[in-house]
Amino acid sequence: MRKVAIVGAGQSKYGEFPDKGIKELFFEAYKDMAASVDKGLDPKTIEAAYVGNLGSGGFQLGNMSALVAEYVGLPYIHTVRIENACGSGGYALVAAVMDVLSGNSKVAIAGGVEKMTDVSGVKQKYWLGVSGDTEYERLAGTTFSGLYGLIAHRHMHQFGTKREHLSMVAVKNHKNGAQNPKAQFQREITLEQAMKAPIVAYPLNLFDCCSTTDGASAVLVCDADIAKQFTDTPVYVTGFGTSSDYLAIHDRADTCTLEGTRKASQKAYKMAGLTAKDIQLAEVHDCFTIAELLAYEDLGFCEKGKAGQFIEDGHTQIGGDKPVNASGGLKSKGHPIGSTGTGQAYEMFNQLRGTVQKPVRQVKGVERGLIHNVGGSGGTVAVSILER
Amino acid sequence: MISMAIGISGYGAYIPRLRIKREDYVKAWGSFAAAGVNEKAVMSLDEDALTSAAKVSKRALESVPMGPERVSRFAIASTSAPYTEKLLSGTVMVCIGIPQTTFSSDHTTSTRAGTEALIACFEHVRGNPAGHALVAAADAPRASMWNTVEHGLGAGAAAFVLSGENLIAELEGTASYASEHFGERFRSSDDELIHDLSVKKFFEASLISNTTKAAGALMKKLDRKPEEYQHVVVQQPDAKVPASIGGKLGFTDAHLVSSGVSKSIGDLGAASTPVALAAALDAAKVGDRILVISYGSGAGSDALSFKVVGERKTAPSVQAHIDNKEYVDYVQYLKLKGAIK
Amino acid sequence: MAHVSIPMYWRTIPQRYKMMGQKCKKCGAVNFPPKGVCKYCNVSSEFEELQLSGKGKVHTFVLIGAGGAPPEFADQEKVGGSYPVAIVELAEGPKVIGQMADIPPKEVKMGMAVRTELRKIYTEEGVIRYGFKFVPDTDGK
Repeated sequence: MRKVAIVGAGQSKYGEFPDKGIKELFFEAYKDMAASVDKGLDPKTIEAAYVGNLGSGGFQLGNMSALVAEYVGLPYIHTVRIENACGSGGYALVAAVMDVLSGNSKVAIAGGVEKMTDVSGVKQKYWLGVSGDTEYERLAGTTFSGLYGLIAHRHMHQFGTKREHLSMVAVKNHKNGAQNPKAQFQREITLEQAMKAPIVAYPLNLFDCCSTTDGASAVLVCDADIAKQFTDTPVYVTGFGTSSDYLAIHDRADTCTLEGTRKASQKAYKMAGLTAKDIQLAEVHDCFTIAELLAYEDLGFCEKGKAGQFIEDGHTQIGGDKPVNASGGLKSKGHPIGSTGTGQAYEMFNQLRGTVQKPVRQVKGVERGLIHNVGGSGGTVAVSILER
Repeated sequence: MISMAIGISGYGAYIPRLRIKREDYVKAWGSFAAAGVNEKAVMSLDEDALTSAAKVSKRALESVPMGPERVSRFAIASTSAPYTEKLLSGTVMVCIGIPQTTFSSDHTTSTRAGTEALIACFEHVRGNPAGHALVAAADAPRASMWNTVEHGLGAGAAAFVLSGENLIAELEGTASYASEHFGERFRSSDDELIHDLSVKKFFEASLISNTTKAAGALMKKLDRKPEEYQHVVVQQPDAKVPASIGGKLGFTDAHLVSSGVSKSIGDLGAASTPVALAAALDAAKVGDRILVISYGSGAGSDALSFKVVGERKTAPSVQAHIDNKEYVDYVQYLKLKGAIK
Repeated sequence: MAHVSIPMYWRTIPQRYKMMGQKCKKCGAVNFPPKGVCKYCNVSSEFEELQLSGKGKVHTFVLIGAGGAPPEFADQEKVGGSYPVAIVELAEGPKVIGQMADIPPKEVKMGMAVRTELRKIYTEEGVIRYGFKFVPDTDGK
């Protein structure tokens, strides 16, 4: 399918910005996106904005999509806030794609924004903690670190995955993120540092967990027939798939599988006429290191249970045959919840066009990429396939 | 008219496993005021009178064994219930599965509450020969850490099934005494913590007066002499009180041995005589007689006389609970009791 | 706080206090906690109530440290140190998450036998929320 194109993409810096709220962050992403449109962007062509957002930073929760749209100069368009926890951005992209596919809009923005550092750590945990199963999982004493910790521990018990394998994800992603000028954390870490970090939810330690982040991103989605108005090198969304899953991990048949990822990616592959083998680059949802290992398996990059070996063998490094999270992933780049999914699209847009900010992160000759965005502990998953 | 025998047909106890030693108090305060108490039990942060009552109620039912749907009367007793106003029985009844149409009573305002609940429920069984009453006493009293009455306060629970069948111990009779005394171990409705004005001789007099009047009246009514009893279970605010009361009634130290639990677990408040009674039942032989004498400040006493007629014991025994322990230090104790604000 | 409202918490009392499950009338599988449609056959909404034994085995567990504790449990972690949370496979089939109690974290083992017991879960707006936790299931205790 080559009916939908992405012709521009922007991202704010990811980090902690006391002087910027959701409006300012979204504007930064919007301007960056507009500047990336090779032939220039006339804002009057934009008909819709799908904005991923979870909490608005302790601020206005209702109608925030209209708020950020008018702030960037788009007062009278179709705006919707998309909320699927950390999967909001990925679903915002899918919504924009479906809008264009339906013929309703010719040009739409898919974006996301999150302001996480305006509220106390306690309040932050409250907001984050209500995206798993609150009634049972939260009240058993877990937040997401505990839930992914349960998964990691079972994975280690059932498949022999080792502590080192988890830390290899953190090391790899920090190495990549150190070369990403927009990443929250731009420093490499050693395997020893990653393995010896303080325990958060055993077996997960501090370096197994992504941080809280402020940030925004936006991509310009349009009907492929008019892509050339904006750029001679558009990127196409050739496939997408979404799936929900049982919210509580204990309700799932297999503790070590995100069925949402499996089903969403299967739908995306089918639509694009591709298999996992055809994917040359992926941005996956590494909210916790175990989540990246699970993604290797559930996206079909390797067999179930073999993810530890897969990273150990170097497949997912830049330079390997299946580079994953060249941006630094959520771990190093940051995870502003509503923005993460479209931030992955921003990265993939640049990788596919060869326009990544620092050449050392550029994966050469990549033509087929996959982005994978998960809500919470897998309750919702959105996968999109982007191609040159 | 011969009335039907009623009594205890099942029982269960629970002592939380955390302990603190007298030595830790001595390190902290220079002295430890609870005479004869070597260490005492402490509840975990996620336990309270209701969770403990639920636990022992289940055990008591299982010891018969019988299902909760047959409980026709329920009573809960505690001086440290988590609410001063809220129906406590409801929580336990729903948790255990006692029919919601069963009449229940909450007994809370003195350490006599445990035996009050027993007597009230025996009245039910007397009037409902086919009925089964369940009594749960669970307590973990709290006082200010500055007050020496705090030193002996421990934690524990015991429950009893009362009926007219399948008896372990038959009730021979009860007697009670109530009086007006004040200033000893009290909490006004604004207080979370026990006060005690330490007017020692005055309080001792109240203790002796109420208990000897109740127990004396019972023994007279039943025409019993001290040597006819093998076990005497007395309220234990510390480990020495039983001897002082027992002595006045003609009992010896030997009578007090089987139920002398406070040296290991402290003052269990409204659960003191119930848990001590469970310990006596653990040790008793068929044919033994047990005299129970409770005391609650303010003040009052109940006395109950039992004859052991059945061999059934509950596991784990009170001693098994006493032996299952893990020590905490004084700082940890303060945190667990919510004393660090 | 997670802010589970009073009525919302109250509606889960049959599960939290009594381990009430539902047995699917069509496929016979036991759902716990309850669902509108049986999650095994995905077809039937007809169930019969079944009180579960509360017994099960640890399927996986995690040890929550200060950084991983939700605010409702922050004080508990400060006082008692890290606490174990397990997904337990109940004897009747379903798996459910629950905090463990009465066991030092380093003694928790995969596959160990546990059973439920009523404990205080947390307090919100002055109201104590009770529910089940898992304790080691050693015979006779």
